[in-house]
Order: sequence, then structure tokens, then C-alpha cells
Amino acid sequence: MSSRDLDAYRPQHPAQLADVLERVLDKGIVIAGDIQINLLDIELLTVKIRLLIASADKAREMGIDWWQNDPFLSGQNGHGELEERLRKLEEKAGLPTTKEE
Amino acid sequence: MAALPLHEEAAGWYLYGVVPSGAEAPRAAAVDPRHEVVAVREGPVAGLASRVSLDEFDEAALAERLADAQWLEEKIRSHEQVLESALATSAVVPCRFCTVYRDESALRRFLSDRAGALSGALARVEGRVELGVKAFAVPESSGDEASQAESGRAYLEARRRERQAREELAQSRAQLAGELHQRLRDAAEDGVLLDLQSREASGRDADMIFNGAYLVAEGERFRAVLAAASRDHGGLDLELTGPWPPYNFVPVELASA
Repeated sequence: MSSRDLDAYRPQHPAQLADVLERVLDKGIVIAGDIQINLLDIELLTVKIRLLIASADKAREMGIDWWQNDPFLSGQNGHGELEERLRKLEEKAGLPTTKEE
Repeated sequence: MAALPLHEEAAGWYLYGVVPSGAEAPRAAAVDPRHEVVAVREGPVAGLASRVSLDEFDEAALAERLADAQWLEEKIRSHEQVLESALATSAVVPCRFCTVYRDESALRRFLSDRAGALSGALARVEGRVELGVKAFAVPESSGDEASQAESGRAYLEARRRERQAREELAQSRAQLAGELHQRLRDAAEDGVLLDLQSREASGRDADMIFNGAYLVAEGERFRAVLAAASRDHGGLDLELTGPWPPYNFVPVELASA
């Protein structure tokens, strides 16, 4: 194995946002009970992120395509109403959220 | 640093992660850049934390902020950067985004109550890093045989062949992913499969067919296995990410001491 072969596997910086998101939002220790803020909002956000990250084909098969109109997920900096998003999320009952398991 | 206004806003503590108590706080910009990241030492462990305004990070405020993609990316990158800087000199147990305490005593109470579990989690990742591996495949052209079919029967036949080809492709990709995961896991202390990312998320014009994370002690050896795997699979397009703080290799919830 030459060092040139190995150099092909040096990570790039900065990391892709999706790789950071799937870790920082969805992994790492959760300190339930100690913390004073409600993590519900973050959990709902995580559902959305997970959908964005998950294969778009799989999501489409499930009939989920609302991210295309979602300013956050389509990458534009919108000032969307969180309430509206929560409503949309709730409408899509049957999503593979962590809570269902 | 400019003095804070006389009327001091309510402040909390943002916890990035936990390190051994001997580790120094990293020099990295905090999620609230007016404050520094400090090591809050409590027994054998230290919390990497910084002051945050509760105007920005309190429950109600946070709900609005989370809808702001620019704010979110900035804070998430900062969270990651603090932990990456810490990772350069010590083991790190990362916390999830937006772990905020109302006051220092609540933070210290957490650190001392869970000292045992935190020390255990630190020992597990000591001297190891998380590496991410993604594999991409250029989609094979599905052809459009069916729409060019001249008879109904030829159309149905072409549709059947296309469906079969799709199924075979999915099956061979799943098999490849399974083999690759096994091989990489053998070169690591542990490994997990992550969700495949859409093209929008990966930013690549190819299908992601594999996404895994590995807890690695010997980086060079792991990279060599990666290179060999790529070669054995006909020049498979593999991408390495990291080293990451070990997000995927810490307990999600800590047992009380």
C-alpha cells in the first residue's frame, strides 16, 4: 500500500453539513431530566433532518415530499413558522419517528 | 472583550461535551461568541461549556431560532468545532445539540451525579476516533425500453425486465454494503450503519449506497482496509469523513451513578 493510496482517503474540510447534522442533532448523549429546556422542538427538527438525510427515493415512496416546498430543507433561509411545520409533521402521521418505536 | 451591559441578561450554560478533568478547554469560538469555552471540573470529569444568553437559548426563543437555517448551521458548526478542537488533545463524550443548563450548579450536579457513567464512556473512546465512510454509485441507466415498445405485449415485457433489473441492482448494492460493513468493522473497535443520504444532502450526483461510522484506534490500518475494499470492488467510490468526536459511540442516555 503506497502512501499515495492512503492519501486518497484524507477527509475533506469543512465537513458536509449533512454529515455534521446527522451527528450533532441526532447523536451524542441526551441528558433527559437534568436539562431545563424542552427538547421536543429539537426532536421534531430531528425528524425532519432525518428525512432530508434519508434517501429521497425512500421518502418519496412513502409519499413524503413536502421538504421541496420547505424553505429550511430546500436550503433557502426562510422565516417559516414553526407552528406550521409542526402541523405538517403531525399531519404526516406514520412517519418513522423515534417516538413510535 | 466589551463589558456586558449593566442590566445583565439571563444566562445559562451550554454544554458541548465531557472530557477528563485534566484536559484543557479548547480555543474555539463558542455558540455565543461573546463568551469563552471553559472546562467546568467536577471530580474525574470536566464539562466543556460556555455561557449563553437565555434570550437566545431558552425554550421559547429556541423554537423560533431552530426554524432559522442560517442560525442553526452557524451554531451546529460551532458545537462541532469546539468538540473537534477538544478531540485533538483528549477523549471527548459529545452531548447532543442545545444541551443548556439554567445555572452552573445544575451543570455541576449533572457532572458529579453521572461521574461514573461519564468516566466509563470516556474510557471507551479514549485513544479512538469516529470515522465516517460513504460509498457512491453512479446509477446505471434504467433505459426507457418500455416507452419505445411497439406492442402492448412488448411493453409489459420491457416493464417486467426493468423491474427485475432494479430489484437485482438493489440486492447487489445491499450485499455490497453488508460485506463492506463487515470488513470495516473488523478493522475497527466498533461500527454502525447510518441512514443513506439523499443527493440533496450528500451534494453528490450519484446514489449513496453505503453510510457507516466506525470507532477507530488505528487510522492508518483502517485507511489501508478502505483502499483495499475499494480496489476489490472495482474501484468503488468511497469517501472518508472525520475524525469526528465519537457521537455514534457514546450511550444515548446515561445511567445515574
